Amino acid sequence: MKKILIAATIGLSFSIAQGMAVAAPPADWSKVGATEITVFYPGISPMEWITGPLRIDRVRHGGGRAFTQGDTCADCHADETAQMGEKIVTGEKLEPNPVLGKPGSIPVTIQAAHDGENLYVRFSWKQPGAANSPKMDDKNPVKIAFMLDGGKVATADQSGCWASCHADSRTMPDGSDDKTKYVKDGSLAGGVFYDLVQWRSGENKAFNGYVADKRVQNEGGGIVAEGKLDGDTWTVTFQRKLAGGEGDVSLESGKAYNFGIAVHDDHTAGRFHHVSLGYTLGIDTKGDLTAMKF
Amino acid sequence: MATNPPRVGLRFWSTLRWPSAKCSVLTLLVVGFFSGIVFWGGFNTVIEWTNTEKFCISCHEMHDNVYREYQHTIHYYNRTGVRAVCSDCHVPQEWGPKMIRKIQASREVWGKITGTINTAEKFEAKRLTLARREWKRMMANDSLECRNCHSFESMDKEKQATRASRQHQNAVEEGMTCIQCHQGIAHELPQDMEDDDYLN
Repeated sequence: MKKILIAATIGLSFSIAQGMAVAAPPADWSKVGATEITVFYPGISPMEWITGPLRIDRVRHGGGRAFTQGDTCADCHADETAQMGEKIVTGEKLEPNPVLGKPGSIPVTIQAAHDGENLYVRFSWKQPGAANSPKMDDKNPVKIAFMLDGGKVATADQSGCWASCHADSRTMPDGSDDKTKYVKDGSLAGGVFYDLVQWRSGENKAFNGYVADKRVQNEGGGIVAEGKLDGDTWTVTFQRKLAGGEGDVSLESGKAYNFGIAVHDDHTAGRFHHVSLGYTLGIDTKGDLTAMKF
Repeated sequence: MATNPPRVGLRFWSTLRWPSAKCSVLTLLVVGFFSGIVFWGGFNTVIEWTNTEKFCISCHEMHDNVYREYQHTIHYYNRTGVRAVCSDCHVPQEWGPKMIRKIQASREVWGKITGTINTAEKFEAKRLTLARREWKRMMANDSLECRNCHSFESMDKEKQATRASRQHQNAVEEGMTCIQCHQGIAHELPQDMEDDDYLN
């Protein structure tokens, strides 16, 4: 009987060890396809301005009409993100308080893969020069996040994360300090939410969260993330269950999901981040970036 | 019973109608022809002079307000060195519409005399009224002044930024006109614009 117990324990240990061994990112990321996306400084450009009615410096978004007719942000702006970032960060447009030395844009290389159970997403980018501005987030020099939409957030298919950016949110000129990101008709129960995953460099912690009627973030929450600064290059790898849990978009093979990323560089917080336009992440299927099984 | 002498005006008119006894028909034709050239040339020169940038900004109302804004726009300073001056955008090129515009513009002289926009504050207060007038005019004439230089047919959309190319294609398909998307391209938009003032 004792021998049987020992054998069962050893067998179970092997199984667990085997399971743990499986739950690991690709051993060689160089074999995983890479996509470069340029994140750029958005200044004050909330959804209310994107869609048309809100004026900033007397001017409405010239693409408001096209957007309401179905064009995506990327349709018009995909090849000019760096130029847009430069115009905004210097205060030429959409930024009432430009910060000298802040980069207008940051090219980020993204790789994604899955093993049938977990999704792995790897981000790498070169650390731009510091702007020497006051630290809004003392603890974290850098934060990186991505959001996924399962298809229920209005206009997420056109704008990526932008549907969560509003004029009344904190750090916006007319925002409230207690107002976080939110989405129109946001409801966790109704599936109208962005799945939000973040890694914070100083705390070296992963956060799992969502954006529905408000933003909620929990430390860990089934997310594993590792990040490091090697020379001047950041590399951050996330791991999350494909199925996910509450507040997660359940990812299925053969489907594509709306996807966007944000980098908080140089101890920034709130709106002072660099963001991507809206893209798609395909699981074993075509997307702007694709996670294939390895 | 004394008769009233004919009035001076009538006598002058009768003289004009009376056949010449001293000048030949050829003389009359030649003098008339060259007088016409001088008169027409003079008239046209004056009209063209009123179309110059120098004339437009000779009053401080234009120089201190709209001209300063326009100096920071692509129509004033650009990589090709082509400049669109005030009249290029605000006065039609064709003779008939140009004369109508000049007659309309004569009330601006009255505005100058009465000082309706002679301070920055007065100009700002009236900016929306003035802008609405121009937007209405350009909507009615299908942005005629823009089209003096630009046309959808002449655009190589392959060479345009993706954003511009898509927007211009949409504009063609929807029968839109230039000013609908390009309000404020050379001047600041009025602070007190209402939602209905946006043409796009």
